[in-house]
Amino acid sequence: MTNVEQSAIGGRTGAIREWLHQRSTREFLAGILFAGPYLALFTVFLLYPLLKGLYMSLFEWNFLNPAESTYVGLDNYARLLSDPAFWNALWNTLEFVLLTVPLIVVISLVLALGLNKELIGSRLLQFLYFSPYVLTVSVIALVWSRMFAQAGVGTQVLGWLFEGSPLNSELWAMPAIVIATVWWQAGFYFAVLLAARQNVPERLYQAARLDGASPWRMFRDITLPHMKNALLFVVIASTIFQFQVFGQPYLMTQGGPVGSTETLVMYLYQLGFETRELGFGAAVGYTLLLILVLVSLVNYKIVGTTDE
Amino acid sequence: MSNTNPNSASWTDRHLDRDTLYRIGLYVVMYGIAIAFFVPYWRMFQLSVTPMSVITEGGFHWIPPEFTFAVWQRYLFEEPIIYQWTFNTFMIASITTLIVLVVDSMIAFSLTRLEWPGQSAVLGIIMASFMIPGYVNIIPLYTLVNNLGLMNSYWAIILPFAAGPLGVFLLVQFFRDIPEELEEAARLDGFSTLRIYARIILPLSTPILTALGLFVFIWSWNQFLWPLIVLNDDALYTLPIGVVTLRDVNALAPNIIMTSLALASLPLFIVFLLFQDKLISSVQMQAGTG
Repeated sequence: MTNVEQSAIGGRTGAIREWLHQRSTREFLAGILFAGPYLALFTVFLLYPLLKGLYMSLFEWNFLNPAESTYVGLDNYARLLSDPAFWNALWNTLEFVLLTVPLIVVISLVLALGLNKELIGSRLLQFLYFSPYVLTVSVIALVWSRMFAQAGVGTQVLGWLFEGSPLNSELWAMPAIVIATVWWQAGFYFAVLLAARQNVPERLYQAARLDGASPWRMFRDITLPHMKNALLFVVIASTIFQFQVFGQPYLMTQGGPVGSTETLVMYLYQLGFETRELGFGAAVGYTLLLILVLVSLVNYKIVGTTDE
Repeated sequence: MSNTNPNSASWTDRHLDRDTLYRIGLYVVMYGIAIAFFVPYWRMFQLSVTPMSVITEGGFHWIPPEFTFAVWQRYLFEEPIIYQWTFNTFMIASITTLIVLVVDSMIAFSLTRLEWPGQSAVLGIIMASFMIPGYVNIIPLYTLVNNLGLMNSYWAIILPFAAGPLGVFLLVQFFRDIPEELEEAARLDGFSTLRIYARIILPLSTPILTALGLFVFIWSWNQFLWPLIVLNDDALYTLPIGVVTLRDVNALAPNIIMTSLALASLPLFIVFLLFQDKLISSVQMQAGTG
């Protein structure tokens, strides 16, 4: 709209109102056009499958001929709750999460606090700690399978604990997978915590040192409170991520020995893509979703109450 | 403390001693962990150059008594399969990154710079999807991709996870902080909405777009479960899937497995070397999402 046109309609309030109206119409159209591509992908590949999954979970789903699926109501969920394989997978997943998350938090915190000091070679150290994060899970799993093979480093170092490879031990297979996972991911969280540590004002430590505070007290009363949000992020993000562990046990142990490393997403994968029980698998997917939403809500609640 | 230690020289000495000890301890811990972190890399490389004759003898070596680059030579110059997988992975990761940057920045622009009814509800729904981890949806997603006839194609991997909430969240935060005046001045100069998006907002957002792009690229490159489901043609495999099939046919030849793993890891290692600081800040940026 040029100045000439504007002055031509100036004074006539009706026309101005119309112009305003037009402008908002155009903005509305532009808004929809700009939001459209994302919303189309979001609707087709996220919202629709989410509803479809709920629908499928109520059927004994026939993959080749969906029209011949049988409605079974909540039977899939009932079957799930009475399936020992589900409870085994849930328990193993919890074991994995409860071992991995604390290790990741402690190691990434130690690395972040250590590298916050001036060290010779700190760039090299940062490279070594962080680089496993750019590897894919299959590289992680296959390298560590070798590390824990009969003639592997892990087996040499931890040989006094068991005979042969830990991956063949019902007790030690899961800890072995945890170690591989920590190597893979500690660097990612280390980077997050390093940034948080660098944001703590240095003058607080100077003041505390003048007051003769011990390193432990400075850690407890300055470092930890200032890094609380970053630490909570690490706990929440890694918990949700670890809950979906799949590649490491799938490639390192195939869920064995005797199902001791079978996880929820592996269980879901087998139902969907090996035995093709899609309706039941969809019910497992939904149950996993509910568990994770619950975990997030509990976490957000903790964040919400401590943020005040 | 100085009150209890009137002799300041001896106080400094003791203090220095404690500091020195502390520094030594710090170096031991940090380099100790670094060495432990390095061991898997060393094993990967070392086994890749160990000849089969040494491997079949059994036993454990830190440094192989003989070495050969024969397997490297084979996969670098003779068998093109790893190049094929690298190409597939690169195409998928690049197209995914491009699509994510375009659609995320467009909707973030629409949500922050244009006004239309219902936009806060739309943002709310997108943010709520943070709570829906991708893997829980794979069964209905699989039937969908199958019905769309996308199985065994790049698009089967690219499209399903292109509309994630992270990019929208980061860009909405960033666009909100770009001063309104810049946009008003441009409008007075007769800029269209499209030009404001392309010529003002996008150029001002280069750092965050780079960070987001790097993160998406690496995430896409490393995807494992979903490509495993939708690809079953080895000419279309991505590196993460391909190395597993090589393992399956060469289970008794760790030198071949390790060479393929090293080759599969090289491209992102180079990316990481080139963009170390950018990549680390892209990780740090995400912590803002907590």
